[in-house]
Amino acid sequence: MWVKLAFKLFSREFRRGELSIIFAAIALAVLTVFSLASVTERIGLNIEQKTADFIAADRRLSSNHEFEPIVQKTAEEFGLETAEMLFFDSMLFANDELVLGSVKAVSSAYPLKGQVELKDNLEGQSYPIRGAPDPGTLWLSEGLFYSMGLKVGDTVELGAGEFTVAKVLMSEPDAPLFSLAGNKRVLLNYVDIERTQAVQPGSRVFHRLLFSGSEQALVDYYAWLKPQLKPNQSWQGIKDRQSPLGENLARAERFLLLAGLFGIMLAAVAMAVSAKRYCERQYDPVAMMKTLGGSRATVRKIFLTHLTLVTLFSIVIGLVIGSVLQSVAADYLANFMDTTLPEAGAKPWLLAVFIGLVCALMFSLKPLLDLFDIPPLRVLRRNLGDSLALSKVHIGVSILTIFVLMWLFSGQIITTLVLFVSTLLVIGVLFGISRLIFAAGRKLGLRPGSSWSLAIATLQKRANTNAVQLITFALAIKLMLFLVVLKNDMISDWQMQVPEDAPNMFLINIAEDEISPIKQYFDENQITHEAFFPVFNARVNAVNGEEFARRVSKQEGEEQDENARQGVNREPNLTWLDEVPEGNEIVEGEWFSDSERLEVSVFDGWKERLDLKLGDEIEFLINEQKFTATVTSFRTVDWGTLKPNFVMILSPNFAGKIPVTYFSAAKLEAQHTEGISKLLQQYPTISMIDIKNRIQQAQSMISQVSLAIGFVLMIVLFSGALVLISQVQASLAERMQEVVILRTLGAKGSLIKLATLYEFLLLGAIAGVVAALVSDIALLVIQQQLFGVDGRLHPYIWILGPLAGASFVAFIGYFMVAKTMRQNTQKLLRSLA
Amino acid sequence: MSVLSQLNIINVEGLSKRVNTLEGELTILSDINFAVKPGESVAIVGASGSGKSTLLSLLAGLDVASSGDVHLDGEALSKLDEEQRARIRAEKVGFVFQSFMLVQSLTALENVMLPAELAGDHSAKEQAVELLKKVGLEHRLGHYPSQLSGGEQQRVAIARAFIGTPKILFADEPSANLDTKNGHIIENLLFDLNKQNGTTLILVTHDEQLAQQCDRIIHIEGGMLEQIREGVTANVG
Repeated sequence: MWVKLAFKLFSREFRRGELSIIFAAIALAVLTVFSLASVTERIGLNIEQKTADFIAADRRLSSNHEFEPIVQKTAEEFGLETAEMLFFDSMLFANDELVLGSVKAVSSAYPLKGQVELKDNLEGQSYPIRGAPDPGTLWLSEGLFYSMGLKVGDTVELGAGEFTVAKVLMSEPDAPLFSLAGNKRVLLNYVDIERTQAVQPGSRVFHRLLFSGSEQALVDYYAWLKPQLKPNQSWQGIKDRQSPLGENLARAERFLLLAGLFGIMLAAVAMAVSAKRYCERQYDPVAMMKTLGGSRATVRKIFLTHLTLVTLFSIVIGLVIGSVLQSVAADYLANFMDTTLPEAGAKPWLLAVFIGLVCALMFSLKPLLDLFDIPPLRVLRRNLGDSLALSKVHIGVSILTIFVLMWLFSGQIITTLVLFVSTLLVIGVLFGISRLIFAAGRKLGLRPGSSWSLAIATLQKRANTNAVQLITFALAIKLMLFLVVLKNDMISDWQMQVPEDAPNMFLINIAEDEISPIKQYFDENQITHEAFFPVFNARVNAVNGEEFARRVSKQEGEEQDENARQGVNREPNLTWLDEVPEGNEIVEGEWFSDSERLEVSVFDGWKERLDLKLGDEIEFLINEQKFTATVTSFRTVDWGTLKPNFVMILSPNFAGKIPVTYFSAAKLEAQHTEGISKLLQQYPTISMIDIKNRIQQAQSMISQVSLAIGFVLMIVLFSGALVLISQVQASLAERMQEVVILRTLGAKGSLIKLATLYEFLLLGAIAGVVAALVSDIALLVIQQQLFGVDGRLHPYIWILGPLAGASFVAFIGYFMVAKTMRQNTQKLLRSLA
Repeated sequence: MSVLSQLNIINVEGLSKRVNTLEGELTILSDINFAVKPGESVAIVGASGSGKSTLLSLLAGLDVASSGDVHLDGEALSKLDEEQRARIRAEKVGFVFQSFMLVQSLTALENVMLPAELAGDHSAKEQAVELLKKVGLEHRLGHYPSQLSGGEQQRVAIARAFIGTPKILFADEPSANLDTKNGHIIENLLFDLNKQNGTTLILVTHDEQLAQQCDRIIHIEGGMLEQIREGVTANVG
């Protein structure tokens, strides 16, 4: 019998909208978690794929020496795909032109990720392919065609071998982001290395193995490989900090994680509010059932059935809406980015269902237990059981559940704690503020009968309810502000890294007398360019008279410094400068003095690596000449920018001591390609590094991640709005009662509407102020701890918070109360009976 | 319990109710003794706060006494737990309240069916339709409480009270929330159905005229039983 009754009551409660808030809250939790988890997973997978393109593999192993055959053999045994690479410089000869090319020999599996762009001839259209040149053929970069007067099909000598030029090499997925290796790129089949005879014992070569496969296989393989790694071998993945893109990817992931946490937090609040409200609304029916002889067991079964039905129903609906939402978003993103997003796995489904279940059970458990305990005597003593409404246990269980959910979802205790503690702070501050305001309001001698005095009287009367409402509003606003700020900061940071006018071409090896014709060409063609930096190669020979080689060997057994970048070796490129370069910051010591001694400013990351301190004397070996410079400062270097950076910078008094070449950068448009190549033909020693494609790739990725973040932000904003609506709705019954009384007593509709408007304006504005205050404090911590950027204050949220809070809350509150104003008083009276 | 008292449907013996307040212990009812015969109608009258509603709650087993006992159809309520008292209510008791206490999400018909459904009675619907006919609401079966007038809602509540033909009906100020005309309709219905079904009626009211319609009137004042006298109908009858 109870089953029939339970279903009947459920369908009626559902139709009457009594369950709609609880239903919406669970569905919201599920759809938020599901859509966030699956969109982030899909975008994450895509970004990983794209980023994998940047290294042409999932992982790579680099070395100055040849790898033992077992390294590659074992990788294959682990089920990994591999490709071999060898880098070396060799002379190219054709049409009486002799040019030093930077050669990359690749095995036929190359590239494991991403694609190579080729053209069939200089005039043709470029197209992407996967693969290596056929044996006996070469792919040459465009610059080499111009500087050697080549065309496809010509024969070129590379080292001791003769090869046919097969294709124009437009881009390689793993071309160095910034290196001084030159743009004279040659792609050669790995089997042809011997034919060139360019690689002899003692030759400067660089070996690399590429790996790709399942994450698990990669992890397992690395576990095998790690103990055998030699000091000069380095293992890199796409998330390693060496790459500025890896850094951005990690930040984006952390943002999406935070957004997911906020979504959960908001949905949890909505759930806790609605579960409590629903149970309270059932006090009378339960008391009545018990009076009419219904046993506690029957009541329990009826309401547990309700909970089960609403949970199942809302989880299913949440998943359906969530999957539609995420597929729309993913399609939009995929279209925008002209790519396909990989499908997400089972994790988002499981996570969403699990979180829906936990939400439903944990937040409704205490209110339900209270409901079962409602005494039948309530039918006679109407307020019996009301004292159960503000239960400390419920609040405690809810808070604990939110914490556990956040921790489970993020797996990061620090992030969870920061967010959680800052949220508790909001609650504490607001409770104090609400008490103060509601107490102070009493002293305000406002004109009786005015909308303002009615608003303040209403606020005071419901001090407790309002405190809870205020906290909910502030919480929702805080989370929304938090994400808006973080999104803005992060995206502007990224845009700063790759600004619109960033140079996309570097010129190196410019002789002093070549500066003026090049500068003239730039000016005539209105090409924006940077200054011409002097640059030279130096060997760091000794520190304080101690041989450098020995110092380094002391470090070799240890883990590699994580800031160590590829290309940083004992022969760094040096310059001298008058001023601290852009993006660098002195963290210790002073920039160069006017002293006559030679001074050097060192990258902070090298300080520990070389065991340096201020005042140390570094001996450089430059063209067989020895120079000693005093360390006068350590600098941070922002490797995230595309600007040229120097590990060591000498004081400007070094000028003229040795012959140097110069270095510059410019932003070239497509129409300049031929012109600049022809110009450089006149100066064959100058090398051009074209990073146009790299910049485009980076920019497209930034816009993809920005879009993803925008989408996630929208979901969280939507969740926040629903929390506000559910909270206003929760107080609507009480509000209706007041409206009826006021209307019955003859209050004008406009007075009540205005009073409501002012009440919500006040509530929203107070909530907004507190939300802004706490967000900014929490942001300082989060930005420093989680995102590794300097925390800064955000004055605009001090205005945005109260403004958005007041207008948003007032709009929703006013809209909902105005709806009841349209009903006539008699109808309202009856609906309350 | 004597053989004579076993004939009573309600026996109240030394019933007291005390509650703890901030100011100390407060006695609401003190040493109440009386008995009610089957089919009898008894009014409990007294001023506001005299303890009459508390007495009703103890008689119906909605609350437990501090001392003394109530025997309801032979069962001592003080020896039963909440679940057992609920079972007694399901089997033997009907209620009518001042504030109707209808479940808002159920229709008039479903509200009347509710006690029978809770008791697992499969003929709930037929009985409910019949009772709603008796209270003149056969055209309002599918209406929700919010779609009914106060008088109509109380008629639904009366129909609900009589479903399952309870032995005892407790009514707490059944006409207090209604206008005079509707109040009279409700009162007449209550007495008519009571007579038809042979139910024992315990009616809490402060309306002396209404009380006079009962067989006996128990007067409570300050938590004490002031007097028991016979109603007008008893004299006539």
